[in-house]
Amino acid sequence: MGTGTAASQRVLRTPRRQPAGASGRPLRWRQVTAIVLLAVGLVGVALLHVWLRLQVVHMGYVLATTSKLQNQLQQENLELKLELATLTSPDRLEALSRSRLGLRSPEKGQVIILP
Amino acid sequence: MKRSYRGNRLRLGLAKALFLALFVVVGGRAFQLQVLQGDKLKRLGERQHLKEWIVLPKRGSVMDRAGEPLALSMEAQSVYARPHRIQDPASISQALAKILNLNLGEVKQKIASGKPFVWIKRQIGPQEAAQIQRLNDDGIGMFYEPNRYYPQGQLAGQVLGLVGRDSEGLEGLELRYNEYVRGETGSSVIERDALGRRVMVQGVEGLQMPPGGDMHLTLDTSIQHLAERELEATINRYRAKAGVVIVVEPFTGQVLALANYPSFNPNNFSKQSAQQRRNRAVTDSFEPGSTFKTILAAAALEEGAVGKDDLFYCEMGKYPYAGKIIHDTHAYGWLPFSKILQVSSNIGFTKVAEKLKKERYFKYIEKFGFGQPTGIDVPGEVPGLLRKAESWAAIDLATHAFGQGISATPMQMVMAYAAIANGGFLMRPYLVHRVVGSKGEVLLENQPQLVRRVVSEKTARLLASMLKEVTHEGGTGTMARVEGFEVAGKTGTAQKADLIHGGYAANKRVGSFVGFVPAEDPKLVALVLVDEPEVNVYGGVVAAPVFRNIVQGALRHLAVAPQKAEWVPAPVGETESPLRRPPRKDNGITAGNGSDGVPDFVGLSLREAVEKARAMRVKVKMRGNGYVVRQSPAPGGRWSEEDGLVLNLQG
Repeated sequence: MGTGTAASQRVLRTPRRQPAGASGRPLRWRQVTAIVLLAVGLVGVALLHVWLRLQVVHMGYVLATTSKLQNQLQQENLELKLELATLTSPDRLEALSRSRLGLRSPEKGQVIILP
Repeated sequence: MKRSYRGNRLRLGLAKALFLALFVVVGGRAFQLQVLQGDKLKRLGERQHLKEWIVLPKRGSVMDRAGEPLALSMEAQSVYARPHRIQDPASISQALAKILNLNLGEVKQKIASGKPFVWIKRQIGPQEAAQIQRLNDDGIGMFYEPNRYYPQGQLAGQVLGLVGRDSEGLEGLELRYNEYVRGETGSSVIERDALGRRVMVQGVEGLQMPPGGDMHLTLDTSIQHLAERELEATINRYRAKAGVVIVVEPFTGQVLALANYPSFNPNNFSKQSAQQRRNRAVTDSFEPGSTFKTILAAAALEEGAVGKDDLFYCEMGKYPYAGKIIHDTHAYGWLPFSKILQVSSNIGFTKVAEKLKKERYFKYIEKFGFGQPTGIDVPGEVPGLLRKAESWAAIDLATHAFGQGISATPMQMVMAYAAIANGGFLMRPYLVHRVVGSKGEVLLENQPQLVRRVVSEKTARLLASMLKEVTHEGGTGTMARVEGFEVAGKTGTAQKADLIHGGYAANKRVGSFVGFVPAEDPKLVALVLVDEPEVNVYGGVVAAPVFRNIVQGALRHLAVAPQKAEWVPAPVGETESPLRRPPRKDNGITAGNGSDGVPDFVGLSLREAVEKARAMRVKVKMRGNGYVVRQSPAPGGRWSEEDGLVLNLQG
């Protein structure tokens, strides 16, 4: 009875230990792999975030430079328009055409408007 | 074995405690930074890398009817100093004075003023700005400010008005249409890096503020220039105080030119007086004098009170009426109504007014728009002075008949004449055709607007034909005649009220001429008013020639063909032409009226071809210069006059 109990106890103990010993190793590997993958994933996401953030900042610089250039060109365009308008103002054109080119208002008959 | 296990546990426990303590310290510090001091630190950080960026309003441009710019806005830099930050005031003052062309003493004084902020010079040029930038001094900075430029200088200065430093319209069209052209001011918080450069990561949308719309006027720069030039010349010639010219399209009410003298240049408005800024065409009212007789004539004809040929006795120049004596400049006996208008008889018109009666006369004065603003789109318009008919004394009927005792703005007067020119319709005058947004969308559009019908077309036509006589031989407005066109109009020489002694001033007069051309098919209505001329006071002498010169130039500019058939251009002296004239083939076709075939233009010079086309009333299109070498269709072929001809020239 005693041995029987001991034997049965041993018998009973053995199957209890076996699953822990036999299937414990692969289970731990799987966990480690999962943790490593998760960590790599997290680091990847973090790096992506940083990369995106850098891109945004870079684009921000590009945008700022381009917008500054746009403003400059618009300003230059306005300056040229202003210069053109000032140079072609009727007052100036008349003075120039009279003094430099010797032109004068057309006399009677010099302008013929066709019907 | 048991001991080492214990030892391990102890070490593990110590390590745990150490890490825990470290976490507590880190956590505590984080709590302190994030929660306890969080707001303060956040503010400090933002102050370093965030900056409020202000977007200045972009004011729209102003253009004439052909798109010629009359006003443009640009951002110009203004230089300021923060004196306490300047390390070496003496050398900086010297550099600033040199670059900005300022008085050295003044600059030194500003920098030594002890104020935290002083303007050194506002609105500087781009080259000066670049030099200031190179100074690279902590205490000197620049700030963009919008500035308004008027490239045509004084051209239509009073009409355009002016804009203040804060980009708000203060007078004229700039004020009236301020909300459309101003543009929006915006601000946005944007990031900047350690070097202070803009990094547009956030708040970019806030910087996209819509610019103001572009204002397209009805003014024509060429006619406006002509009007201002001629007005100034006559004012100098007759030593007058002021003057107004208005040119309007009669059928639409579009104002083509509005000139005031003294002139006003909005580019340096601070140096000019309020007198110069005034747009007298709408802000001042004058007693119109004889030009107002046309209103009575229109009323009397429309009501059937008189006919064109009804005879009136003009009392040989002196007519006692309501206790006063009414005078004419020349003594006349019996005159038909049309002649009364032609010679502008005060006595004749008093008698016409007597026949019409004051109530009916008053009704037409109001219908023609007197006593109320015309509604033109510039600020400051006055309604003029018109007393109700019930309050007229007996003499007032006579004085109103020749334009005294009533005051009207030049704009009211020109629109009343436009109503006669266009067949009886009183139009609302306007200066802004449309305002167009930055994406081409129309923000506002003014269309011709009918106020009311004033007289029938028949009356308007009859009156126009009578007004033509004024510029014919024997009339008061012969100096307004324009070669090749019939001019209908009326002269006026009004006395000016003496504001100090009451009654009328002995020597002060307002000479004017209002008319339209061509009389049968009016393209332009123009008014010329010369205030207090000294050398000669008569409207027919001081104002009529100005009308002629302006209208002549304007018709040429608008390419309105002369309408008088008998008008032939005078021959122009032939100059030696270096061009070789191609031999003219005699193909036996006689080109001229009555011939069915295509007239022959080949071999003619440009001038000869133009004259021939004009004489034959043939539509031609010219290509090139010199002599006609080819024409299409070819001479002698079948052709209808409507199709016209194409002439190829070569020299």
